[in-house]
Amino acid sequence: RMAIRELKVCLLGDTGVGKSSIVCRFVQDHFDHNISPTIGASFMTKTVPCGNELHKFLIWDTAGQERFHSLAPMYYRGSAAAVIVYDITKQDSFHTLKKWVKELKEHGPENIVMAIAGNKCDLSDIREVPLKDAKDYAESIGAIVVETSAKNAINIEELFQGISRQIPPLDPHEKGNNGVICMHGGKPPSQAHRCC
Amino acid sequence: MPGLAAPHPAVTLSQPRELRGGWVLPGSHCALGGAMCSREVEAALLRLEETFSASLAHVNTRILQPLLLADPEPWEPRGREHLQLLQQLLRSSQQLRQLTEQSLQSLLKRLHQPRTTGLEALPLLGSADGVLQVHLEYIESYTSCLVAQVFQQVAKGKREHWLAQCRPLQKYLAGMSFEGSVDAVLGQALCQPLAQHLQQYILLLLRLRDTLRKHHPAQELVINAITLYGNLQSFLQQALDQAVATQALGHSLSSRLKDALCTPGHRLLQDSQDIPVTAIPLRAERVLLFDDALVLLKGPNIHSFDLRLVWVHPVQDRCMLRVVTPEDEFSLCVRDPQDLVVWQWKVSQAVCQALRGKKDFPVLGAGPAPSEPPACRSAAYTFRTKGHLCRATYEGEWYSGRPHGKGTLKWPDGRNHVGNFRWGLEHGFGIYLVPKAIEDKFDCYKCHWQEGTMQGYGICEYSSEEVYRGYFQAGLRHGFGVLDSAPQAPQPFRYTGHWAKDQRSGYGIQEDGNSGERYIGMWQADQRNGSGVVVTQAGICYQSTFQADKMVGPGVLLSEDDSLYEGTFTKDLTPEGKGKITFPNGFTLEGWFGSGTGRGLNTQGVLDTAALPPDPSSTCKRQLGVDAFPVESRWPGVYGPFRVFMVAGCPGELQEALLGFHVQRSRVPRRAQDYLRCERSCLEDEAGRMEDALEELLCHREPAALQRYLQKALNSTWHPLGKLLRTLMLTFQATYGGFGANKHLQGMAQGEVKQHARELWAAYRGLLRVALQRKGQALEEEPEDAETRDLQVHRLMLPLVLPSFYSELFTLYLLLHEPEDALYSQGIASLSLFPDSKLLEFLDVHKHLWPLKDLRLTSNQRSSLVRDRCFLSATECLQKIITTVDPREKLEVLEKTYGEIEATVSRVLGREHKLPMDDLLPLLIYVVSRARIQHLGAEIHLIRDMMDPVHTGGLYDFLLTALESCYEHIQKGGMRLRRLPGHWDLRDLS
Repeated sequence: RMAIRELKVCLLGDTGVGKSSIVCRFVQDHFDHNISPTIGASFMTKTVPCGNELHKFLIWDTAGQERFHSLAPMYYRGSAAAVIVYDITKQDSFHTLKKWVKELKEHGPENIVMAIAGNKCDLSDIREVPLKDAKDYAESIGAIVVETSAKNAINIEELFQGISRQIPPLDPHEKGNNGVICMHGGKPPSQAHRCC
Repeated sequence: MPGLAAPHPAVTLSQPRELRGGWVLPGSHCALGGAMCSREVEAALLRLEETFSASLAHVNTRILQPLLLADPEPWEPRGREHLQLLQQLLRSSQQLRQLTEQSLQSLLKRLHQPRTTGLEALPLLGSADGVLQVHLEYIESYTSCLVAQVFQQVAKGKREHWLAQCRPLQKYLAGMSFEGSVDAVLGQALCQPLAQHLQQYILLLLRLRDTLRKHHPAQELVINAITLYGNLQSFLQQALDQAVATQALGHSLSSRLKDALCTPGHRLLQDSQDIPVTAIPLRAERVLLFDDALVLLKGPNIHSFDLRLVWVHPVQDRCMLRVVTPEDEFSLCVRDPQDLVVWQWKVSQAVCQALRGKKDFPVLGAGPAPSEPPACRSAAYTFRTKGHLCRATYEGEWYSGRPHGKGTLKWPDGRNHVGNFRWGLEHGFGIYLVPKAIEDKFDCYKCHWQEGTMQGYGICEYSSEEVYRGYFQAGLRHGFGVLDSAPQAPQPFRYTGHWAKDQRSGYGIQEDGNSGERYIGMWQADQRNGSGVVVTQAGICYQSTFQADKMVGPGVLLSEDDSLYEGTFTKDLTPEGKGKITFPNGFTLEGWFGSGTGRGLNTQGVLDTAALPPDPSSTCKRQLGVDAFPVESRWPGVYGPFRVFMVAGCPGELQEALLGFHVQRSRVPRRAQDYLRCERSCLEDEAGRMEDALEELLCHREPAALQRYLQKALNSTWHPLGKLLRTLMLTFQATYGGFGANKHLQGMAQGEVKQHARELWAAYRGLLRVALQRKGQALEEEPEDAETRDLQVHRLMLPLVLPSFYSELFTLYLLLHEPEDALYSQGIASLSLFPDSKLLEFLDVHKHLWPLKDLRLTSNQRSSLVRDRCFLSATECLQKIITTVDPREKLEVLEKTYGEIEATVSRVLGREHKLPMDDLLPLLIYVVSRARIQHLGAEIHLIRDMMDPVHTGGLYDFLLTALESCYEHIQKGGMRLRRLPGHWDLRDLS
């Protein structure tokens, strides 16, 4: 029997960079047979296999507007990973990204996995943020980085696979740390999924 | 003898009547026997009655009345007793004569009018019981005179006079002898007529029977009468024998013993001199069985045992009878097994008769096989020795020599126990009164007893008017209990907590009725000892360590203005010694404190004004007591008896003792005369009811049915789970309710509610285990794995239990989140001034999502001014969050609210639309601000604390977080407004 690990992932980034589009695209091809309840495009789940585990991503969207920034800690507390999204056609959004990274480093959960997604790579002809800048920056903070296109479904799977790989494998005797909840076979709660 | 004509005014039948010759049939004719007709027999009966009546009249006038006059005013007690016995005999004799006259009259009537008067009109046939009664009374009074040797005493020294008196009776009494002592002659004269009469009656009745046709209606009456008179005859014989034996006993006894034993009421039934028997180990010289007592004689001592409290059992294979009495047990040994049978039979019969209070009729041996005396009896007895029962009088049910069943014990000092007994000791429910020096004051214990001591649940109303409700052990308060002081006491208090050996010990809460101060913490020997938290009515709250009722060492003091002091302080709550004050603005003052000489606080220390605002969790939101009183070990005295109950297999009869009284919820005021009445409703069949409950438990194991069952059980005042919950509610109210509710106790309270849910689930599992065991099955999944248990506790039990604690718990949340909720209310108030479209604009909601279609305008309204119309369905849905206490239902309300928002948006857009957070959050803020839910902060935190942890990170967590972020946002709005000076303009914000 494969263990199911629930991983809380929060989405950060300026409004309009396509945070929820990435997740919608990711969740569209459902691995699960039974569709999990969602809250519009704001809360979605998807389960993917990873090694001998199943990772169930619980993806929390956040409001990107500047005025709601102060509310973000409530959303990212207890997250195993954060996906920080910027728009490659908007330098400002990359700037905001840096602010998020800084905040997560200071106030976010320890050992949070950070993944940087440069969205709208289908519009590279009007790009404002060079890929190298993003890569250099990601390297400096030890984050995953990938350029995605939610529109054309580019690198979406890879983004989450990257996160999965970064999640430390589970110590079989220890459960749920760092916002990770695991279900060792046994009796799954109503909304947990049996592997197939 | 004119002087003797009427010795007594009541005596009317004093003169003998002459025989009425006309109806007399010749005696020779009777003797012929043969076929007499019924008429002839009746005539013979008539004659017989006439003779009897005449002889009775003569006996009266010539013997009884003169006997009475022999010493009409005796001065010594014995003489008075004799006079009484003679008067009794005279009355019985007159009754007998009256009866005979009655019989005579009816026989006469029948001879005159045989057609109209049936045989049943004759008293000896028609009212046999009355006839019997009169005869028995006569026999009784006659034999009493014999036993008391009345005739001997009265006639002493006047032999010739009395013989002369008796002589004329010869005419009626065939075979009367005038030899022997005068008392023997007198005795004969008083008994012989009756004996002869009975004998002749039987003969005539036998003839009467023969004259009647087979199916004559009176046939049966006649046969019954024959049996009756036959029985009377043998009864008379037996009574005479017993009387003679009793009288004769006197000769073999010393005069002291004789006076004690040969009393007129006594009859000797068996004497060990006739059938030898020895008593072991008492070594009595003689064993006497009387009709009311078994008597052992040992030297000058008499051991007398009331037969009503004598139990005899033959000892198997030995010639021995075991005799059990309330305070002595001994054996009666015989040589010959036959003798054993006689003794056993006689004792058994005597016991039976003594219990019935009258002699057997028909006599022994005449009826069917003798019945065993019952093992259970009802009698009164005063103990002479025997431990705590010494000199106490027990009245009630007995079993084999010991109080057993219901009864009352009364001690000479006024103590009094009414209740159940088992094997001689108080056992089961009982009410025990202990009088106090002050007149009319009692300590009244209404509780459960086990083997003579108070054990289990009880209520004690002390003479001081203090009332204790709780558990006892070995007669002392022990375990969980609540002690209330007298209502008018100068220092009223209520203690709710644990006891050991009659003293407060362990975790407990004491509230002072005057100051309202509440101590929550550890006790030892009636003193505060160990960790303790004190809450005052002024809102000050501190935690410290106590020793022998005094605070020792440093503590934490939280004042109502949210400043914090850590260090040592006095009982007046003044810092003294080393300590540190943290002010609400973050300033700290660390150093040495002292109260100094004047007023105010003296200190030498460092004031730090550069510190950041303090962490709320260590100041204004600090929770006390959580670590000092681990929630798992806080209330063992409440859970303990329940566990004992389950381990014992849920015996219905122990339920009340272990889980408290069944109290029916009624609001009838108590009256003074209800003093002894107990606040408990008795149940007839506890065991059966428990069995039904367990049976029902097994039928409701599927989730929905289980939920219904538990709901019912928890609400029931009778069900073990309901009782446990009610006790827990009591402790919860005592700790957190009322004026002592303090925000710094919220952590303890919420942990306790969850613990109670866990314990109640364990309790349910325990009951289930017992129910299955009774069916010979085992509980599957044993032990239950932690995950399943947590799931059941949170999903099933907590929502059922929460309503019982909700009001106290929610109050603590209210207090804890009061400042934030105040800001939030301000934010709501300011946002409610906006018209709908302004607010949507203010919150940066995309124009295409505005549900302007919902704005139906009347002619004089402008869309920009309409309020509270948009997202109305979502708003109304969200408002339902306060209609339930179940955290899960609250979360479901939240989910529905979201659904309503999405539905409204989809309607506006004309297509399905998945809202990203960028759009959802502003809409949600809009809905929350319009729902205007009071105390939303308290709600949110309560939901989060009580939420099933399995939802962490999931959908419900997300929804709750989203709601919380709306709350925070609105609060910030409120905060901003607070900073705005004076009047503010809507346009500044929009």
